[in-house]
Amino acid sequence: MRNLVTALLIFCGCAFGADSAAIAIRNAKIVTVSGSVIPKGTVVVRNGLIQDVGENVSIPGDAVVVDGEGMTVYPGLVDALSTWGMPGTAASGAARGGGRGATTTAAPAAATPAAPPARGPEDRPSTTSWIKAADEIQATDKRIESARSAGFTTAAVWPTRGFFAGQGSLVDLLTGEKAGEMVLVPSLGQYISLTRAGGGGGGMGGGFPSALMGMISYIRQIYLDAGHYQLVKDAYAKNPRGMQRPEYDRALEGVLESKRILLPANRWVEIDRMIHFAAELKQPAIYYGIREGFEDRSVKYLKDANATVLISMKWPEKARDQDPEAEDPYRQMLIREKAPTTPAVLKKAGIKFALYSDGLDTPRDLQRAVKKAIDNGLSREDALRALTLSPAEIYGVQDRLGSIEKGKIANLVVTKGEIFDDRTKIEFVLVDGNKFVPAPEAAPAGGRGGATAPSGPNGVKK
Amino acid sequence: MKTFGLLIACAIAACAAANDTFFIRGVDVYPVTGAEMKGVSVLVQDGKIADIGAKIVAPKGMKIVDGKGLRLYPGMIDSNTELGLSEVSAERVTVDTGELGEFMPQLKALSAVNPESEHFPVVRANGITSVMTFPASGGRGGRGGGGSQYISGQAALIHMDGWTWEDMEINRSAAMHLIYPSIASRGGRGGLANVDFADEIALLFAGGSAAGTFTEAKRNYETQVAKLTEFFDNARQYQKERTANLPGFKRDLKFEAMLPVLEGKVPVAVPASRERAIHDAIAFADREHIKIVILAPQELGKEGPELKSKNIPVILGRTEALPENQDAPYDYAESLPGEFYKAGVKIAFGTFNNEFSRNLPYNAARAVAYGLPYDAALKAVTINAAEIWGAGDKMGSIEKGKWADLMLVTGDPLEVPTQIKALYIKGKEVDLSNKQTRLYQKYLARP
Repeated sequence: MRNLVTALLIFCGCAFGADSAAIAIRNAKIVTVSGSVIPKGTVVVRNGLIQDVGENVSIPGDAVVVDGEGMTVYPGLVDALSTWGMPGTAASGAARGGGRGATTTAAPAAATPAAPPARGPEDRPSTTSWIKAADEIQATDKRIESARSAGFTTAAVWPTRGFFAGQGSLVDLLTGEKAGEMVLVPSLGQYISLTRAGGGGGGMGGGFPSALMGMISYIRQIYLDAGHYQLVKDAYAKNPRGMQRPEYDRALEGVLESKRILLPANRWVEIDRMIHFAAELKQPAIYYGIREGFEDRSVKYLKDANATVLISMKWPEKARDQDPEAEDPYRQMLIREKAPTTPAVLKKAGIKFALYSDGLDTPRDLQRAVKKAIDNGLSREDALRALTLSPAEIYGVQDRLGSIEKGKIANLVVTKGEIFDDRTKIEFVLVDGNKFVPAPEAAPAGGRGGATAPSGPNGVKK
Repeated sequence: MKTFGLLIACAIAACAAANDTFFIRGVDVYPVTGAEMKGVSVLVQDGKIADIGAKIVAPKGMKIVDGKGLRLYPGMIDSNTELGLSEVSAERVTVDTGELGEFMPQLKALSAVNPESEHFPVVRANGITSVMTFPASGGRGGRGGGGSQYISGQAALIHMDGWTWEDMEINRSAAMHLIYPSIASRGGRGGLANVDFADEIALLFAGGSAAGTFTEAKRNYETQVAKLTEFFDNARQYQKERTANLPGFKRDLKFEAMLPVLEGKVPVAVPASRERAIHDAIAFADREHIKIVILAPQELGKEGPELKSKNIPVILGRTEALPENQDAPYDYAESLPGEFYKAGVKIAFGTFNNEFSRNLPYNAARAVAYGLPYDAALKAVTINAAEIWGAGDKMGSIEKGKWADLMLVTGDPLEVPTQIKALYIKGKEVDLSNKQTRLYQKYLARP
């Protein structure tokens, strides 16, 4: 039986491969990220994988050859925490609050039917831990095209609403008909936020929990419940006879199947708090937000805890159309000024980090956001790594993604000029070996909105 | 029988006369408006100061108070309270500070004053003999009245003692409380003192704040100003029709109440915390040719020369206050009165409160520690307030002909250790015991 399955799999693989022609990019500068830069080399892509890369690589006879003279090949960019493709998260305008950094991800815009207010943890308020981004994602989301025009080929997409928002999935940014094709890893872990699923409000009429202490106690309770649930389930599975059947709880199932948690931590006090919290919960954690990561205290806490963080690239900005006579508090101005130095500071301290879009989705905004980190002291190489190999390592997929190496998934960005420069033009991107050319107006310098039109002989998959 | 009746009548008259007629001997008088006079005597007759001097002698049979080693000051005036209108602010039935509605000039705070309020004895125990009591906006009793209020009614200057509010009245229409619109956009200074907490909340309930842009706030402001201007235009039209006495003229209480304001007899009292708000309020008063008093400013900015040249008085809030935002200097509230004084602005103090009205002298004292000259501080709680609220000829200093609103004290009234030996309102000695002294006695007696 097993042999048959294996045989079938191999057969399928071959059949798939037979349909797909190779693409070879030659005479291009290749920034592998994992190794040294190849000044003039060739990348051969076949079956959605990198077949070969190097200075002297033979080009297969059936390959479509792209002359890469004057071009640079980079690994496709990875958004380490994204909502691209998640329904109801597109309203980026809603997330542009004050410069204080109130929102961590795009605020939910869609109205969900009102549930009766929760009385306590037993009602599992704002909990959808069983949801997987892979099951929710919409390949038709315009932001996917838009992000691809900025050089992003992969995203760790997460449900972001509620205390236990659900499980993130690693997806390739394809715009096919079936979302399933996009998925690399269906479950990356559990997204935890301290924000009610309904968005605004809280307090009055929202039910339990309405305060931070209630939220923290709720998360604690869920992990206690999950531990107990596992024990009872195991005991029941071992010997069900004479034992009362444990009640199925999808919220706890969702928590138990998540292998890591994402915890919100913007201010240094939150970073400290969340590191302790993760230790108490005994869960492998990744901290996201990190707007005050530049503070000495933040660095110390993160370093001591050997923590891994995801840094929001939505750098706090001054509110638009503000009262001209209003003076922002010093702290706010400080965070605005210093937040973009966080990547450089953490790099220097040797803390593992990746960058994430946090609601940004236009090529222009994304390019500017990365550029801002570079202008604030992060080297170009480190910026690139924080958007390629680092997120791959953080999510444990460095054997498949994040650099240009033989056998890795063929996610590439081909540019004229240095990536992240505002005048650089992205020639095309390869996602799973499929070529997408950014529409002219969607090039990084070109402004807002953008569509990538699949083109070329191998443009459209199947 | 007839003679007996007459005798009783005489006795009552004598008693009544004795009640507000007395002689203080050998006291140090601090008249506020002039230099101090050591070891003089003061004659009070029928509630008024009849004479002050070293050589005057007490008429025969008159009650004599020995003032040896004591000082005599005029009673102090708190220029902004809600005394008599609100007893326990959280308890609805004890609050009668205002009414709903956008324009309520016809409301008189005086008629709502409860002479039995427990606040009066507590406040006057510290030497405060009269206060301004202000109607508040929006009917505090009923929450969520909705809508903004522009005019909340007439503020009254009252004495701190009397059987009825009529007894207490000094000036029933000392000011019209006008809430001038302000550009209320979020962000920046003002509002929340504890920004860290707000930060936390904003983070927890992302998107919960109805931030509002400046453009929006400005448009809103302009609409409100237009509305207020229209009301004044209508009042002026009413004034014309009233003078013309046209047939079919209908009396309107609201506009009737506005007449003294339009005629410049009653000032509008306008809360304005920011420089821009002060500027806008003054500009409005100029346009409407009305008198104005600024309440509770939080900064002076560049408004000094304008306030000074236009003779616009300012009622300063409590100096016993936290800095209004996280970046403000620690002495923010304390040094503000000094700044206004140095700009040549006429100032008085208000506690904007009932519970802490008794701390009026200490608010002034703190300002002294941060740059306000002592004399100016003392004037700000006495004569300045009397003048601002239209009673400068009757009270606020120790002068012949003025009411005997006096405090007999052991030292400087702005100093905390100073004890009040006796307090007189219109020459009548008032009881210094109050709820707090009663509670003190009660628990002192606890075994």
